[in-house]
Amino acid sequence: MIIEITGSYLLPCSPQTAWQALNDTEVLKSCLKGCEALERTAENEFTGKVAAKIGPVSARFSGTMRQTELDPPRSCRMQFEGQGGVAGFAKGGALVTLTPQDGGTELTYVADTQIGGKLAQMGARLVEGTAKSMADDFFGKFAAAVAAMEPEAGPVAAPAQDAPSDEQTSGTPAWLVPAVLIVIAAMAAVAVFFH
Amino acid sequence: MYELAYSRPASLADALALLAEDEGAQAISGGQTLMPVLRARLAMPSRLVDLLKLPELTGIRTVDGGVEIGAATTHADVAASAEVRAALPALADLAGGIGDPAIRHRGTIGGSIANNDPAACYPSALLALGASITTSQRTVAAEDFFTGMFSTALEPGEIVTAVRLPACQRARYIKFRNPASRFALVGAFAAQLPSGTRIAITGGGHGVFRWREAEAHLDSGGTIDAITEDMLDLAHFTGDLHGSAEYRHHIAAVIVRRALSALA
Repeated sequence: MIIEITGSYLLPCSPQTAWQALNDTEVLKSCLKGCEALERTAENEFTGKVAAKIGPVSARFSGTMRQTELDPPRSCRMQFEGQGGVAGFAKGGALVTLTPQDGGTELTYVADTQIGGKLAQMGARLVEGTAKSMADDFFGKFAAAVAAMEPEAGPVAAPAQDAPSDEQTSGTPAWLVPAVLIVIAAMAAVAVFFH
Repeated sequence: MYELAYSRPASLADALALLAEDEGAQAISGGQTLMPVLRARLAMPSRLVDLLKLPELTGIRTVDGGVEIGAATTHADVAASAEVRAALPALADLAGGIGDPAIRHRGTIGGSIANNDPAACYPSALLALGASITTSQRTVAAEDFFTGMFSTALEPGEIVTAVRLPACQRARYIKFRNPASRFALVGAFAAQLPSGTRIAITGGGHGVFRWREAEAHLDSGGTIDAITEDMLDLAHFTGDLHGSAEYRHHIAAVIVRRALSALA
């Protein structure tokens, strides 16, 4: 079955800083609960491992993600695939956009995910709710992290102080954000398979 | 299932020690959720620590103004308890309607609340009645204990030992049940406490919650008939193959009105 998950968050920083933070595997790792590993395996490919626990169910998901379009610091598109052993699998695509707003940056994501295995038997029950609470948890920590990264004082605008070169920012794992959220959300559905 | 160790400690202290020394150890009570999860290989604890025979977790006692129920008490024992029937008949009825006889003779009140399944029955009673939950370390108000779907205020290694509930004759639980699992598609527990009307709803999807708008409406003199789903935030509900969010939302208002009418 296909599940669509969307969300948007206001970050207290410029799009450049947000983009930079989304490029930083260490920042992402520290903001994502249960993330055990996050690394680049090729120019545009990454792998990650997340241990998630919801009620009595615990599962380790390993995923691979590949970027298909990059437009720093405005948007990127990605394809991802996650395997959770007997729990099932999730794969799909997502678009993340960054828009300047009210002196900060609005991050928006739209993701379509196909789930299978035990996941698919559950229906979408609780997926929305879990994705939402995971996303809130992640972006709460992420907002604090980018606020700390933001250069001291001065209006946020100060446009493109030599906007980080494209070379530097290519290979962003920004798409890990929705991808991992979805994998975990899909796992939540497993938790209720016996209802 | 995977191979794992099994312990049946003789005291609460021994159980806590077993959980503390092995990070992969998992407490098990009646196992009505945990066993299917293990069978499906969706969890892999290294050791199960069985709480069912702990003397500190057993028994039902009449206490000042209410009852105290040991965490390892089965649903069948709560349903059949003369003490519970006398102090809190609605809770005995609720316990007698959980699952089927096999589940009621294995499942426990402590296991149900520690798991906090978003469609479980007990959490709605505890929340509506303002129960307090005693653990191996402290006492927590129900209001602070249930923190969302499958999530509670329990720390790792902390064990629920008992639940204390106030006596209340004017209380009623009505469950719109899934006919197969007997879980609550939606369930409503209404109670008239000295402090006012309390309404808790389970089965919405995100976990048990109080319908404060309806409580306030009644406490300020409003009628039961005037309570509609328009006063209930749809965001509390999610849908699945058994029913949409809108359907649950509507049913919730219907069964709350029925529960309240039964109190009058």
